[in-house]
Amino acid sequence: MKLADHFNINRFLLLLKLELHRSRKGILITFVVIFDLLLFGFIMESIFGYQKVSDSHPVAYTVALLAGGFILSSLAFHDLGNTLKRHNYLMLPASALEKFLSMWLLTCVCWVVAFTLLFVIFAAGANSLGHIFFSGKTFVAFDLFGRLPLTAIKYYVVLQGIFLAGAVHFRSYVLPKTLLSILLLGMICGIIFYFALSDLFRTHVEFIEQYSKMTGTPLYSLWLVLKWMFWWVLAPLCWVITFTGLKEQEV
Amino acid sequence: MIHIQNLSFSYNKNHQLFDHLELSLPPGNIYGLLGKNGAGKSTLLKIISGLLFPKSGELHITGFKPGDRLPRFLQEVYFVSEEFTLPKMKIDSYVRICSPFYPRFSRSLFNTYINEFKLPQNQYLSALSYGQKKNFLLSFGLATDSKILILDEPTNGLDIPSKSQFRKILANAIHEERSFIISTHQVRDMENLIDPIIILDEGRIIFYEHCETITGKLVITRQKELTDDERIIYSESHLGGYTVVKENTGHEETKLNLEILFNAVLSNPEKINNIFKN
Repeated sequence: MKLADHFNINRFLLLLKLELHRSRKGILITFVVIFDLLLFGFIMESIFGYQKVSDSHPVAYTVALLAGGFILSSLAFHDLGNTLKRHNYLMLPASALEKFLSMWLLTCVCWVVAFTLLFVIFAAGANSLGHIFFSGKTFVAFDLFGRLPLTAIKYYVVLQGIFLAGAVHFRSYVLPKTLLSILLLGMICGIIFYFALSDLFRTHVEFIEQYSKMTGTPLYSLWLVLKWMFWWVLAPLCWVITFTGLKEQEV
Repeated sequence: MIHIQNLSFSYNKNHQLFDHLELSLPPGNIYGLLGKNGAGKSTLLKIISGLLFPKSGELHITGFKPGDRLPRFLQEVYFVSEEFTLPKMKIDSYVRICSPFYPRFSRSLFNTYINEFKLPQNQYLSALSYGQKKNFLLSFGLATDSKILILDEPTNGLDIPSKSQFRKILANAIHEERSFIISTHQVRDMENLIDPIIILDEGRIIFYEHCETITGKLVITRQKELTDDERIIYSESHLGGYTVVKENTGHEETKLNLEILFNAVLSNPEKINNIFKN
């Protein structure tokens, strides 16, 4: 078996072109809706906000990046939700790896880059308008390299994989089903961890209450492992689930 | 080109659709796949094209395992299903964006086909009628020069001129290295086009013969009275007499009537197969 059977750059670019061409209206509508909402929020905050200094851009950026991105990711493999479209998608001469990578690139990397670029322009434009119409207020410039935007990007890259996996495995109502799955999984994990570590919790209850004193305890080590898994295991695991889900699709 | 060995497939545990199915389809033919509703025709076509995975057995289609759905395999198998959907694009855009996925796609051939079907180039696909969409897909599939072209009920929804155009185009497009598999209930539309004939019933291949062999072994004639001729395998009454299928013992030359043949095979598969074994 050749590498070209699984990945060929020309075919991959063709696939990206096809996906962009088919989704161009959807992408345009998504951006228009998101930036309309952001503008509306900015105006409301400027009118009704009681603070003299307006620094709402980092929060707006974080919320819109995550919410918009998760919605977009949930729509990633929408062809699989319809039998006839699924037939076309699966018969398209591109490998499962290329199909997965194209969607990941579009919904993760391209989304972050395109949204960030547009947000930077939006923030500059909104601040300029704010200075004109709300001269009594100070509008803080959006710092892309501030703590919150960078953290939002990091969280998005990790959590987006869950929504991509949901897009492959659920054929309808992808977003609510994915959110429900996360909620259920979170509850189950929480309950298991609580009962499995109940002794530990009881022993270290005072440490849990005082986080700083937890360092060096088994619970703290577990926390470190979970944190490491979140940042380094969760996303690749979701990508593998998405890829295998794509390979196993039938009509 | 297509080799299927010991294929087993079921949609659920209670009903095994294919059980150790064997089938070999060499290139260069227009195969006619016939069968009643629920016989497994569409399922077989989906398995051949890698859209369904068999539970067990070996499948080699143009040297590939269909279930792997490798791009080189998908370039060689084009499937026009009975029901389909097309994106909201103009014909021209569709061809510009989708044709590069097929390395041997011929734009000039495509133009020839759509001109023969009288399809407008600048039209949106969504604005075409069902029959026109089908003709478009057929034109695109033929222009890909894929080794296997699968057509599920291709003449459903086609008007009378399109049906004859369809037959003409298909007959001219076949060559030694490619095969067409046509699954249909509209057997009259396919007469003089499909050869060999494969009849599938309840997940089994009950008949697989070339037209020349069929006409050499069977005679399909009309007669006014139903005689007690032992050679008669099957008969159907019609206005003013009977159409009978009987063993061809005297090297008679008759025209093949696919509908009668199909009914004859389904009514008495053992007797028919015994005739063809001899």
